[in-house]
Amino acid sequence: MTSQQNNNNVEITTALGEEGLGQQPWWVEQWMELINSYRFKKRLERAWTYAREGNVTSIRFEGRRVHARVQGTGEDPYKVKLWLDVLNDEDWGYVLEALTQRARWSAQLLAGIMPADIERAFAASGRRLFPFKLQEVRSECSCPDKANPCKHISAIYFLMGDRFSEDPFVLFQLRGRSRSKLLADLAEQRRVVLAGLADSLNEKINISEQPSFSVKSAVAPHPAVLDPSLWWRYEANLDADLVVITPALEGETGLDIAGELPLAEEPRFPEAKQNFLSHLRDQSQKLAQQAMIQAMAAGE
Amino acid sequence: MSLLHATWLPAIRTPTSSGRPALLVWADTWRVATPAGPGITPALHPFTLSPEDLRGWLTERDLLPEGIIDATACLTLPSRAVRSTKLSNLKGNGLLEVEEGGSKPAWAGLPLQAGEPIPKKSEWWPWQVQGLAVEPCSATTWLSKLPLSGKCLDLGDELRWWSHLQRWSLSIIARGRLLPQVELSKGEGYPHRARWVPLLNREDDRRRLEELAARLPLVATCALPWREPMGRRTNRMTRLRPEAMREANPVASCRPRSGRLRVANLLEELVDAQIRKNFEPKAKALDPMLSAWEEALGSDTGVLALADEEVERLAMASNHWREGVAGTVAPARACLELFTPLEEEELWELRFALQAEADPTLKLPASSAWAAGSAILQLGEIRVEHPGEVLLEGMGRALTVFPPIERGLDSPTPESMKLTPAEAFVLVRTASAQLRDVGVGVELPLSLSGGLASRLGLAIKAELSQRSRGFTLGESLDWNWELMIGGVTLTLRELERLAGKRSPLVRHKGAWIELRPNDLKNAEKFCSANQDLSLDDALRLTATEGDTLKKLPVHKFEAGPRLQGVLEQYHQQKAPDPLPAPEGFIGQLRPYQERGLGWLAFLHRFDQGACLADDMGLGKTIQLLAFLQHLKVENELKRATLLVAPTSILTNWKREALIFTPELNVYEHYGSRRPSTTSDLQKALKGVDLVLTSYGLLQRDSELLETIDWQGVVIDEAQAIKNPSAKQSQAAREMAMSTKSNRFRIALTGTPVENRVSELWALMDFLNPRVLGEEDFFRQRYRMPIERYGDMSSLKDLKARVSPFILRRLKTDKAIISDLPEKVELSEWVGLSQEQSSLYKKTVEDTLDAIACSPRGQRHGKVLGLLTRLKQICNHPALALKQGDIDESFISRSAKLQRLEEILEEVIDAGDRALLFTQFAEWGHLLQSYLQKRWRFEVPFLHGSTTKKERQALVDRFQEDPRGPQIFLLSLKAGGVGLNLTRASHVFHVDRWWNPAVENQATDRAYRIGQDKRVMVHKFITSGSVEEKIDQMIREKSRLAEDIIGSGEDWLGGLGVDQLRELVSLDDS
Repeated sequence: MTSQQNNNNVEITTALGEEGLGQQPWWVEQWMELINSYRFKKRLERAWTYAREGNVTSIRFEGRRVHARVQGTGEDPYKVKLWLDVLNDEDWGYVLEALTQRARWSAQLLAGIMPADIERAFAASGRRLFPFKLQEVRSECSCPDKANPCKHISAIYFLMGDRFSEDPFVLFQLRGRSRSKLLADLAEQRRVVLAGLADSLNEKINISEQPSFSVKSAVAPHPAVLDPSLWWRYEANLDADLVVITPALEGETGLDIAGELPLAEEPRFPEAKQNFLSHLRDQSQKLAQQAMIQAMAAGE
Repeated sequence: MSLLHATWLPAIRTPTSSGRPALLVWADTWRVATPAGPGITPALHPFTLSPEDLRGWLTERDLLPEGIIDATACLTLPSRAVRSTKLSNLKGNGLLEVEEGGSKPAWAGLPLQAGEPIPKKSEWWPWQVQGLAVEPCSATTWLSKLPLSGKCLDLGDELRWWSHLQRWSLSIIARGRLLPQVELSKGEGYPHRARWVPLLNREDDRRRLEELAARLPLVATCALPWREPMGRRTNRMTRLRPEAMREANPVASCRPRSGRLRVANLLEELVDAQIRKNFEPKAKALDPMLSAWEEALGSDTGVLALADEEVERLAMASNHWREGVAGTVAPARACLELFTPLEEEELWELRFALQAEADPTLKLPASSAWAAGSAILQLGEIRVEHPGEVLLEGMGRALTVFPPIERGLDSPTPESMKLTPAEAFVLVRTASAQLRDVGVGVELPLSLSGGLASRLGLAIKAELSQRSRGFTLGESLDWNWELMIGGVTLTLRELERLAGKRSPLVRHKGAWIELRPNDLKNAEKFCSANQDLSLDDALRLTATEGDTLKKLPVHKFEAGPRLQGVLEQYHQQKAPDPLPAPEGFIGQLRPYQERGLGWLAFLHRFDQGACLADDMGLGKTIQLLAFLQHLKVENELKRATLLVAPTSILTNWKREALIFTPELNVYEHYGSRRPSTTSDLQKALKGVDLVLTSYGLLQRDSELLETIDWQGVVIDEAQAIKNPSAKQSQAAREMAMSTKSNRFRIALTGTPVENRVSELWALMDFLNPRVLGEEDFFRQRYRMPIERYGDMSSLKDLKARVSPFILRRLKTDKAIISDLPEKVELSEWVGLSQEQSSLYKKTVEDTLDAIACSPRGQRHGKVLGLLTRLKQICNHPALALKQGDIDESFISRSAKLQRLEEILEEVIDAGDRALLFTQFAEWGHLLQSYLQKRWRFEVPFLHGSTTKKERQALVDRFQEDPRGPQIFLLSLKAGGVGLNLTRASHVFHVDRWWNPAVENQATDRAYRIGQDKRVMVHKFITSGSVEEKIDQMIREKSRLAEDIIGSGEDWLGGLGVDQLRELVSLDDS
């Protein structure tokens, strides 16, 4: 739950399941706080209804912009565009420099985790990853309504939060760096830092003389080149752990560990994701049974 | 014989094809082939079975997969170049063009076959291989049916690799280690697909991936992306020049790294195919996107019917979902190494490192990864790209299960960090397992690294007591013990003091150890028990690792020198002490035979049954006779010993006992005049040392035989009791037990008993009944896991239990080789069947009279005719009577054939090859049909009317075909000279040509330059018959014998009737 006070007693969350926001990643919560800071609650409420009833027909992240279509009162859906201010290369330079100062940030980003304190790295450039105010979220709608955000745009606001959970790197993308570019830049920046360190240490450690690595070492020929009988030979015995095939311990299947599928729900099908996952679990249990029966029959 | 192979054909996606992968099942076989080289298309593999033949063969083997279509694929195979000038004439026929300006001939050669000797220089070339393509799901069903262990002569080794991979996929499914994913289109026109993907983050699965990848037989994945050229579409592979071919040489792309990815992909294919078939997409109330995904996850093709943007969204979300569990497959992983605090310090050190997946002992500190930058880091042989990123990604995952790491990652290039004692304990106790499960290596100090050694146990010192000779199982030993944990010893008082610290990790004698809650209690209990240690315990504790004494594991067992001697002999860690041939033994024992005798005597003193399982030809008979003589000399042979053997070798026993141990009184309990009452038998056994009988009579006369108080029971050809429920097997086991006095039990066999799990129980139940427990227990505990799944740990345990009682030496053992000549001649004594014997006598009577009456001129021919006929009778009555049918009774009509079959069975089991020489072409034909029927494989026969071309083909095949025939029949005249058959290591002279020079010449087909094995020469001699008498003359080198050698068999024609009668009449005493 957000700590945001809610004047009109309207429960507005994007978590369409029963679990509430407690299950959401922190950056989704942050986004919701942002929306709830908006003053015009009535409009938000209408936008929420809009979103829930499935009027938003598509949301696409294309480069640095979000393109969406919202079915309004007109025949054709309205086109909505949302974007954030992009960080320029200089700003990104500061961010990258700051990010490399702590190995943890790179480690988490590489493992697909959004660091909770990522804004501290952005603070180095005086910029933010998350918009601080809703006004920072730029938008355009093809509807006749003069007000911005109109209810179409607001409806998109609601759904975006969930969409962030599908891919935390979308935020970086909106700020001008895709995941692969960001990771590559980080690697490069680390090298710069290392070179700096090496210089400052001077001749203390001569990196190029370490024998443990080489820039381009010759690829050793595959053993089969020397011994063509490897083409056919296999002498190993069955792995002892595969002799008896056992089921997973409680809570240890891939589905258990992976948890919630990070996919924004389609508002018109509020139970869909839960149904999908519980059916997957039922089926995978059935398949596990079948596999064990088959394994027991082997060699008969 | 053909050999079955299976090669994965990756999906070849073209806009017109569904691009489904498949398993290509194919077989190669031996035939004469013309060398070929690739032209516009790769050359046809000359040795593959046509799809039609393959279907037939698979149907016969009951191995025909479902869902198959005929297919041709291009496989890269090691090949041998064949140089031939004729080939240049073939240039116009689509062979490779000669390289510009060069005069080198086009490449031509043949693909190598599995098991074929590897030429000095081999090359890799593409071949078109015909076979059957099995769609993935049927392939998984088919692979599940293949044997998981053991070598099959007609199944390629890689099929076992496949069956192991398939078993792994079943385990992945059973443990639910998988997630659905979305695979984006690989290019325009190709569909997006829904996929099931295995999760390979856990340590055991990662290790398995490394093992299967390191051992991948490349034939399993050697298919090239190639399709038969069609229409105008030109293919990359269609115009190959040598240099291009060399580049396409897949060996270059078979680096270890690609092996890992390849195997991971294959596993994914198998898992995906199986789940897809059985997954039922039925969830209710799904939105269109999830519904389409679910539908595609259960559909045959997996094609996702959604707009691109929706698929991309799903792909992103599902990928992010999976990332939370498992990262990518890489050659190295992040690793955390824990170091104990220095003296007087409190904090533990945790160092960061990179560790090779393939070999966890290969590690480099984080500093090397940082220093490598964008360069490739070399971990031993293994190349790691982006080492810094690999390390960081692992640390990111480590953070999710072991938060204290966060502190260590505050600098740009961290190399290590400090842990508090509490954190170190969490790492040792729980987090290390979790870290390994997310794919991060953890290395703990040795004394804490888990396993039995880090648990509380015992260190024992023991020695035989002063007055003991060390030869009874129950006797108590002088012993003392200490508590031991993590490699250091401690007293109970020290343990109490350490436990009092209430810290789970404590330092003792410089090592850090982990105390568990029950440790103190268990130790106190043990200390108060104050028990004895018997020799029996010592034998058990030293047999297998991890055995316990009063629930405490024994970490260390130190035996005093005298006890050590007993243990080593018992566990056969050293060769048994030799015992010289006893007095009264005529002849010499070879050194290994003296050791065999010593071993029999050693176990005898323990009252343990012994199985002497020496290879054929090493003289088991002699060793047993020497053992009996030894007992006799030591005055230990008080009563008779019963020896049971197949009927066909009773004669042999009698002969050898007569030759080597004439002091032993041997009695044959056999024939229709054998005693039928106890008193008669007891009377007959007066003063008898050894009683010979057959398995048949053991069973028929069991009640009678059980009334005798035997000193021991010996079974020869012990494989005869392999079936525990067979009557003769039960009879033998009952005979081994005695209520009155101890009976020694000895089994003799030439088969590798220790490898035949199913036969071991009955054997051990005969020798030492308690060792393997009841039959049901044995089946559950050992037989099923080992036979079905090839479970090594069960096998190891089983071997440890039985190995003290089995002594098996091979002809190839180094210690034996020096004792044994390169050519060993063995006389195989056989008797005659009832039919043979009466036919023999009748023939002698009738013909001798006729010869006596015939004029001199005809006599010569008649004598030779008689000898020929008698030799034929010794072979088989059907040969003498010119009967051509092989019926049920064929084997029982000839004692010689029975013995031959028994020996051949051992030869075949051992994977050896044999030459069979006979002088009778008709006998060759009869034997050929009989042996082919008996073993259901081809037995070639080379005789006088074999054409020159056929001869060469037979010889080539015997010498070259990796799965060629194991038995080769030859007529002495046609096959006795000129041929080179060094692949055989056994030579059988089924009937005798009484000229050693001729026999030796035949023997030399195998025993000649190029022979790298010991050659066993088996000469059959029918005892009491003309065969024996002439053999004896040759042995004694009588004057007559010299005549024989000089003139072949002609001299026989000149014998007088009396001489002749003496020579030919049957002596059946």
